[in-house]
Amino acid sequence: MSIRSHLQRTAAAIAASLLLTLPLHASERTLDSAYGPLTLSGTPQRVVALGDSALDAALSLGVQPVGTLASRGGDDVPDYLKAKAGKITLVGSVREPNLEAILRLQPDLVLASNDLPRELYAKLSLMAPTVVPKGNSFQNWRDTYLTYAQALGKSEEGQQRIAEIDARSAQLRQRLPQGQQVSVVRWNPQGPVIMSSHLFVGQLLADLGLQANELAAAQAQKPHSDVLSLENLSRINADWIFLATLNPDGRKALEDARKQTAFTRLKAVADERVVTVDGQIWSSSSGYLAAQQVLDDVEKALLD
Amino acid sequence: MPARLSVPQAMGMAALCLALLCLASLLLGAGDIGILPSLQALLGSSDDDARFIVFELRWVRTELAVLVGVALGAAGVLLQAVTRNPLAEPGLLGVSAGASFAVVLAINLGASAASLHLGVAMLGALVGCVLVLLVTRMRGVGDDPVRLVLAGAAFSGMLGALSSLLLLWDQRTADEMRFWVIGALAGRPLDTLEWSLPGLIGGLSMALLVVRPLAALALGERVASGLGHHPQLTRLGTLLAVAILVGTATAAAGPIAFIGLIVPYIARRLVGSDIRRTLGLSMLLGPSVLLLADVISRLLVRPYELPVGVVAAFVGAPILIAVVRQHRLPTL
Amino acid sequence: MNRTAPHPLLAPSGHHLLRLGRYSLLLHRRSMAIALILGLLLIAVATAILAAGDDTLTPWKALQAALGQGDALQVFLIQELRLPRLIAGLLSGAALGAAGCLLQTLARNRLATPGVIGIDNGATAFAVASIVAVPTSLAPSALALSGAATAAVLTFALAAGGGARGYRFIVVGIAIGALFGALTNLMLARSDMDAANAAYPWTVGSLNARPADSVLLLGIGLAAGLPLAKLLANALSLMRFSDSVAIGLGVRLQRMRLLTLALCVWLTALAVAVVGPVGLIALAAPEMARHLCNRHGVPVFNAALSGALMMILADWLGRTLLAPIEIPVGIITSVVGGPYLLWILLRQAPRSST
Repeated sequence: MSIRSHLQRTAAAIAASLLLTLPLHASERTLDSAYGPLTLSGTPQRVVALGDSALDAALSLGVQPVGTLASRGGDDVPDYLKAKAGKITLVGSVREPNLEAILRLQPDLVLASNDLPRELYAKLSLMAPTVVPKGNSFQNWRDTYLTYAQALGKSEEGQQRIAEIDARSAQLRQRLPQGQQVSVVRWNPQGPVIMSSHLFVGQLLADLGLQANELAAAQAQKPHSDVLSLENLSRINADWIFLATLNPDGRKALEDARKQTAFTRLKAVADERVVTVDGQIWSSSSGYLAAQQVLDDVEKALLD
Repeated sequence: MPARLSVPQAMGMAALCLALLCLASLLLGAGDIGILPSLQALLGSSDDDARFIVFELRWVRTELAVLVGVALGAAGVLLQAVTRNPLAEPGLLGVSAGASFAVVLAINLGASAASLHLGVAMLGALVGCVLVLLVTRMRGVGDDPVRLVLAGAAFSGMLGALSSLLLLWDQRTADEMRFWVIGALAGRPLDTLEWSLPGLIGGLSMALLVVRPLAALALGERVASGLGHHPQLTRLGTLLAVAILVGTATAAAGPIAFIGLIVPYIARRLVGSDIRRTLGLSMLLGPSVLLLADVISRLLVRPYELPVGVVAAFVGAPILIAVVRQHRLPTL
Repeated sequence: MNRTAPHPLLAPSGHHLLRLGRYSLLLHRRSMAIALILGLLLIAVATAILAAGDDTLTPWKALQAALGQGDALQVFLIQELRLPRLIAGLLSGAALGAAGCLLQTLARNRLATPGVIGIDNGATAFAVASIVAVPTSLAPSALALSGAATAAVLTFALAAGGGARGYRFIVVGIAIGALFGALTNLMLARSDMDAANAAYPWTVGSLNARPADSVLLLGIGLAAGLPLAKLLANALSLMRFSDSVAIGLGVRLQRMRLLTLALCVWLTALAVAVVGPVGLIALAAPEMARHLCNRHGVPVFNAALSGALMMILADWLGRTLLAPIEIPVGIITSVVGGPYLLWILLRQAPRSST
């Protein structure tokens, strides 16, 4: 007897008994995933979140996952989620998820990121229903977030959270000076890389009425550009530059950038309008908690 | 191989080539300014942007390319002379890999001062050279040209895996570490030239000391001893020179392979195998080849740039194939 | 040796003559003994690895679970996770060991491995391209196969002609490998971190969740290729001497070279399509086999067994050392195999090169 059928029977039994007492939204639901429609029932008790966005979604909806991956910027849970995550078991890294470790946690739901390879998906779905949201990083972040919310049986709460962000965005938009251009940049030793404006952060910034810099908007195929030649550094210029670094301490990246005269010549730098931000959030993750952080950063930078 | 040109002729040609390429490096690039505005900037026009790009970006980069090119070209010639192997090349033999791995290790352990990188890189290059020495001593000189290359390939492979391991542990410095996997001339800190110039001068001085003994060594150990040189000391001295030169070049621009292969090849075809003739020429050819690769790397994917190490590999690999396809490998 | 009928054939010392009807097969006693020992060792280690892990089962329970009996969770663990991984490791290790043995004999050089002559790099470059650069519906493993074949064809085409001595082939292989390596670096440098992560197993060699159809293809290829390799072994052991001796002994030199190369590429490509570039196995396994068998031969089977053993041990190490972080098997083999390789190079070796 396979685990899955065993669990499904148990879940069905629970659901049947709960149907008599609880409201309907905890019961059966079908969602559309990257590998086909998935039917889930009951409230998951042991969730494994593979990826920052999944972890963000779970934590923001009040679900405590039993396992997650070390994030790709380091060897631990992303800093901005650490407090909420508490003591959580690590089941490998983004490059190599450890299937045995995941199995040991006996999950009843696995939330994965949208680029999970087919082979891993096949193995994981034998252990537990595995949710791989549709689309790629250009997808509207709300869709991905709602997919996770639906999987967790908390669609309504998910909608509420999104509404919160939207409301806060609208409010912030009123207070911000209009028509400002922004660009989000990561600094490499050979030169900068500009993040596409169609990603999660770009979507949020657009909602705030902040326009994307030309080069950022042109990145429609890849999440970010190639390494830009220093001779063309002016292309990352904007009214505000957000410098994303892979560790929360952004000073080193800013120092490195300042060593290049081409950088200090930029108007934004001259006007002291360069802000260092956590690259974990600004270039990797997505979700409610990340969105709140982004809005915090923007508010602090543009209104102080 | 019969010499085709006299040394002054070849040096003259090479110098002219170098001058032209320097000019090209100043006038061409990934930026939006055209050739004519760049030329005007050189001659003193007042267009701010153009002046900035030509003098602060391209000029510095050209100087760096010349420095690194001289170091790598000379190191290549020296290495081939001491191993008597036309396939020897600091990149292929793992000397560059040793240097860059040493730096990666240092970064991982927390070091970040640029001048520290120089010393560390030289140490790493020295380890690579020691390996070369051991392998050539064990196998006997002129035994099998491939064994050395295979050893170097294995050594580089192992160091690459170790770097990957380090990367697994600490992905934070991933961007920085990627640079040390394949070299580039762009975006180097402005003080790079300052601290790498002494390294270059040191290495070249060492090289000048061993030129004559090396030439004698090419006639055989006994002949060399008979002429009053010390073969062992000569080898050690040459490898020391190579380590200093390659360490400097790698610390400045990351590991750039194949330059040390292309340059001796061309030099040999122009003036023959005698190291006394090829060393000077290689110091002019090295920067030329590197500048050529650098200019190409700037023009291929505008407005972005390729790492120069990649272009060098694409040019160097066919030359390696050409060398080995010659029916008889030229003896050194 | 028993003589049941007057026969002029006598097996040389240390060998056994196996007669099947009209055919006879000469078997080296020591090699057979070693093969038996290695085989048993392999089974023992495989069972131990199957049982080991953070959930340690007794070997007996592990075997039962493999057959589907016992606790549902344990059955799943063994059947779906550990067993496929073990099989992939065994098959790819065996293929790489055999391929390495063949290539070393072909090139007359102990250091020649498929990884060095660029087959690995070609496979990696194509596989990485499919993941980060070129959107294609073909699986990366299919592309890895074509990449390996392309690299081998290029190498052979460029090295052929004019007294094909072993070393020209190796050097051209190194150059081709460098080219493909640069290409891979280029693609990775221009890709974003997500895609680079997805391409990661193909750049270092990993046994984590490999596609089952590639493993099946590898199994079939190995089953067909290994006996063929053994058949070639006789001719190959003659090739160890100079060309003229081999021709004089009746070996069709060019054809043998081509066939051996094709077989080597075939085995390597299939293995790389499953596990990625794990070059050191192809180097170390034949060495180990030769050391054990203590003869100047071409121990293809023993190399395969050794390779399988090394691969599963390396994979187990990678899974256990930094648990729950997994170290890919390719890194383990390079880190452990590198010093071993250097040791081979630096110690005083016997006069001949194989």
